[in-house]
Amino acid sequence: MAETLLRLEDLEVSRGMNKVLSAFQLEINSGDVVVLHSENGAGKSTVIECSARLLPLEKGSVSHHGALVLDHEGRRNRPVHPFGLTLQSNGLVGDETVENHLMTVCALSQMTADLTPLLESYGLAHRRHDRIGQLSGGQARKVAVIAGLLPAMLSEKPRLVLLDEPATGLDQSAVRTLVSTIGQLRQAGHGFLIASHHPAMLECATRLHDLKKEVVNKPSNDNAWKAIGQPESQSFVATKAGQRYLRSTRAGIARNGLTALLVLGTMMAFIDPSTISDRTLLVGLTLSAPFAAGLAGDPVLYLLREQRAVDWWRANVQRLPSADLFAPLTGVAFTAIGTVVFLEAFDWKVTLIGAFVLWFTMASVRFIEINTLRLARPNAVFLRLLLPILILPWALVTEYTATL
Amino acid sequence: MRGRVPEMLLGVGFLGIMTTLYLGLNWAPSVSINAFESPAAQRIFYWHVPSAWAAFIAFGVLFVGSALWFFKRSPMGWRLHVAGTEASLACGLMAVWSGCVWGAAEWGTPWDWTDVRLNTFGLLTLLALFLVLGRQSQPDGVETRDTFSTFGLFGFVLVPLTYIATRIWQIRHPGPVIAAGDDSGSLQSEMSLVLLIGALSFTVFIIGHMLISMRITHLEQRLESVQKSLDGGN
Repeated sequence: MAETLLRLEDLEVSRGMNKVLSAFQLEINSGDVVVLHSENGAGKSTVIECSARLLPLEKGSVSHHGALVLDHEGRRNRPVHPFGLTLQSNGLVGDETVENHLMTVCALSQMTADLTPLLESYGLAHRRHDRIGQLSGGQARKVAVIAGLLPAMLSEKPRLVLLDEPATGLDQSAVRTLVSTIGQLRQAGHGFLIASHHPAMLECATRLHDLKKEVVNKPSNDNAWKAIGQPESQSFVATKAGQRYLRSTRAGIARNGLTALLVLGTMMAFIDPSTISDRTLLVGLTLSAPFAAGLAGDPVLYLLREQRAVDWWRANVQRLPSADLFAPLTGVAFTAIGTVVFLEAFDWKVTLIGAFVLWFTMASVRFIEINTLRLARPNAVFLRLLLPILILPWALVTEYTATL
Repeated sequence: MRGRVPEMLLGVGFLGIMTTLYLGLNWAPSVSINAFESPAAQRIFYWHVPSAWAAFIAFGVLFVGSALWFFKRSPMGWRLHVAGTEASLACGLMAVWSGCVWGAAEWGTPWDWTDVRLNTFGLLTLLALFLVLGRQSQPDGVETRDTFSTFGLFGFVLVPLTYIATRIWQIRHPGPVIAAGDDSGSLQSEMSLVLLIGALSFTVFIIGHMLISMRITHLEQRLESVQKSLDGGN
């Protein structure tokens, strides 16, 4: 009997003021290719995003491989097995190279693979070391589609693949390759949920669904796909990705480092520490730079806002990539400089407290920002109004540090 | 007549507030010049305390509205949330502004970043400002309502913290003058009377304000639904 890879039970989902889905049921079994082809705005992307655990449910539940991953009571569990996801927006970070992004997808599946033949089949082999931001729109779309297919390509066991408008922006040759790959993966037992109007996608479906009723379709038979993955244990994939984003973009230095430097420079320009005898004030000046750097927020989250990369990560991991390692290191550096400038000698206790101040402040700002990501216009919200909440803890830490 | 209740409450409350101001500035007895750095500025108290009291009522309404929307998806809950944020902002700003003026005269500084009462109350007011501006920046929808009601629920943690702040960490802000649990700091009867009139007036005023705000939100929702039906949507 075919394994059930995805089960959507009695889904009710609202977007804006509209109820997009009501009592919606769907089951994807091993070897199914279900294509959602209803009209624009009917809820195709909503079904895909609910299946990927990205949207909260008013009612119902979502299960992968028989295990609950999302329900209307707010449970959001990590899927037992990795799944493929291509969002309508690519979900890619522009500063990541093609190879690094695809290897990250492999790592999330606890696999490794030789990607050369795959990249050649999509005409991307010569761009594998290029940054995604340097690719054309169509090439970037190919990377997003390959990333969506990879968990199934790597695995011999059935995997779920969710593709939202995968053929959009692809040339004829890439569409043919995509259709052929989907057919081969279907024969190997993987299951697909695809939202598309593209005629080629409709032809490769085993079931055509318009969100009200479905009809059975008979696609042509292909040879079964031979899995290309080799098991390789990987840990802290999101953390490593966060550090890689920071290395390749220098976003941490550009946002947080420069903020700390500007604060430090401004204070050094206007304040002569030798005229100040109040130690609390001097410690406050020392801890100002790490505090200001923390208020600039998490630079990795800032990068992930590109092309909905944050949603791609949210679907795949429980904890997003972050600058958690970068923050204390930067805090140590700028507080150490501050102690030499304002306290006239290096003080390791104050330096460690400065590292904590930067990490805690950045983590708090990230927490607030993550909680507004679901808004229709997250960048338009006045988040900075909430940041004074961090001034009191900073002031209390400063007072305590001055007594050390 | 029943439909005019919010306007009547607003009017009565406004008259009461004006009366409080008059009594506070002209009738209430002066405080001892030994107990205060700036005895004349103490009369701001008759504005400051009732407006802070009304702000706490509004924060309570904000919390109840946020909870009703978040857990029950109640449209009435969302209207309470909107009314609560606007009233919290209005009263919060009145209390913070009057406190700063009084603080500048009495302590020599309008603000102290290490005083817990000042900061938690200021943060509640900023939260209300964030909710008001944030709601105006977003299209109405479950995403907007869920997000802002979550902030409303989290933010309410600051209310008990603000309340107990002067009992636990008294730094600059004075402790309670009513229901202090002992005779310290209790008020003369004339002072208490003016304060009571002020608290009642602000309460009536803020209830009227919130009822009108809820009515406006309801009309906005009806307008949006009519516009949608004209667009041919559902």
